[in-house]
Amino acid sequence: MSRITSSFSGSSIAWATVIVCAFFFPFYTEDAFVLSLLIPGMIWAVGCMGWTTIVRTGQFSMGQAGFMTIGGYTSALLAVHFQLPFWVTFFVAGAAAALVAFLLGTIVLRLGGIFFAIVTLSFAEVIRVFASNLTITKGSYGFIPPPPTLDIGSWSVNFAVTKVPYYYVSLLFLILAAIVFWRIDSSRLGRIFRSMSSNDRLSEHLGMHLMKYRVMAFAVAGFFTGMAGALYSHYLFFIGPTLFGLWESIMILIMCTVGGVRSAVAGPIIGALLLSISGDYFSTLVKGAKPLAFGLLVVFVVFFLPGGVIDVKRHIQRLFSTEKKSERGLQPSA
Amino acid sequence: MALLELQNVSKHFGKLAALSNVSLEVERGEFVGLVGPNGSGKTTLFNVVSGFYSPSGGKVYYNGEDITGLRPDKITSKGLVRTFQSNILYKEATALENLVRASYLHSNTSSWKAFFNSRDYRENEKAIFERAEAALAHWGLEEVRDVLADELPHGHQRRLGLAVAVAADPELLLLDEPLAGMSGEERLVVMEQVRELSNQGMTIILVEHHVKTVLNLCERLLVLDYGIKIADGKPEEVTCQKTVVQAYLGAEEVVDQCS
Repeated sequence: MSRITSSFSGSSIAWATVIVCAFFFPFYTEDAFVLSLLIPGMIWAVGCMGWTTIVRTGQFSMGQAGFMTIGGYTSALLAVHFQLPFWVTFFVAGAAAALVAFLLGTIVLRLGGIFFAIVTLSFAEVIRVFASNLTITKGSYGFIPPPPTLDIGSWSVNFAVTKVPYYYVSLLFLILAAIVFWRIDSSRLGRIFRSMSSNDRLSEHLGMHLMKYRVMAFAVAGFFTGMAGALYSHYLFFIGPTLFGLWESIMILIMCTVGGVRSAVAGPIIGALLLSISGDYFSTLVKGAKPLAFGLLVVFVVFFLPGGVIDVKRHIQRLFSTEKKSERGLQPSA
Repeated sequence: MALLELQNVSKHFGKLAALSNVSLEVERGEFVGLVGPNGSGKTTLFNVVSGFYSPSGGKVYYNGEDITGLRPDKITSKGLVRTFQSNILYKEATALENLVRASYLHSNTSSWKAFFNSRDYRENEKAIFERAEAALAHWGLEEVRDVLADELPHGHQRRLGLAVAVAADPELLLLDEPLAGMSGEERLVVMEQVRELSNQGMTIILVEHHVKTVLNLCERLLVLDYGIKIADGKPEEVTCQKTVVQAYLGAEEVVDQCS
């Protein structure tokens, strides 16, 4: 526990600096293009933290896009048909996705490895098919969710004209999610998840109820992934059955692999921002460059940084310690 | 009432009868040796009792309660803990972290309190870490406190495996070849520690291939052969039984001990 405390103290200054810079960034530039690179990156970072949490219990989900679809449609339908404000539909979207995750997880988390991955992939496809064929979801055409509104006294925030309000909502959402996932990882819950992923047979024989914690992680991840889907669909002014599909589920996997799954928070955030920003940026230069950018980054990471970008610090430390060892070897013995 | 009771327990894998109608009772505080040739069903018996397998037939009772087919975590929470033949640890974790993880059943605060880092939770965590440090000292593992389990020498790994099982606070401890691969000196040290656990009142069932070790430690011997219990009694009586000799011990030992 002392190591966790000391690492928090050491990196808390770095995190505080990043958060302060992020808060003041729109004062530096309100350029719509720049913000349009950052906003999706922050939203995907939340989805990535959810996926990483599931992986840290030893399970591999290929269906996170399904929860984003559930979240997106729940929020949009409540806003359109019941005129509920975004600040309510956002959290209801998360709750709906979490409920589905809980029910699905209770049934399928007994499966391991590849079988769970296949079932979650199929689940996401089933959700897409439902969304494509139901009248209430407007079938394959989708529909337009209204932008959020925020009125504080006489001051009104306009989400329809500038991207700055979406930037701050995405940033606050990312910070909230990061705190939740950090808290889970650094507590006894994170220790239990790591135990299960390391050795589930031993963990079970030491008294850990595997299904309880797997479902817990899956439901929490579903909650935040559903909210990510809601925020993203309101940001894009669109929700449709193909908005979140197989590519999005794979994209989350790639982002987390590039960032590094050894870290519950920093790795997924770094991976999501790096890939989302570079993918979107390069696709403005060359059409269709996004998958190419993703592919190149994944190949680079697999060959040179198999633990992900988060492992750079460890590699540098190892490099310096190797240099120190060789220096000692050249010195005459005492 | 016996602490552990098996009534006609069988376990089949297809046509293979790994266990056939095994009945036995283990009283509180006993130190029982479980021996038999390779493939006789010793580990299968442990797997059935600990919930890793459900039996094909029969019942398992612990403290008078039917635990047949219960999940392993439920059985462990009742005080029945087992070790594994292939030394199973959290390989990527340090010796200290292994013992902290093994203290799971000592967590007495809810997941919500853990998440919100309440005072109860922090005190509980402090107690768990102190307990793990004390266990490191007790098992002579303080020097390897921060060494990854995967990097420990074999003897240290097996000692840590034993420490991990004891950290789960067993009332009944099933030890599956805990001394395998240890040097002579290490065996003596660990044997003494296991004997100490028994002296403190823990009920132990020990599977061990080294017959002399079992004869030294155990006050009662159970012998399995092809999944059938063929002997149950004091070591000096069991080792003289013809069926045991034929199955396991060898004719020369019978002549030496039983003449």
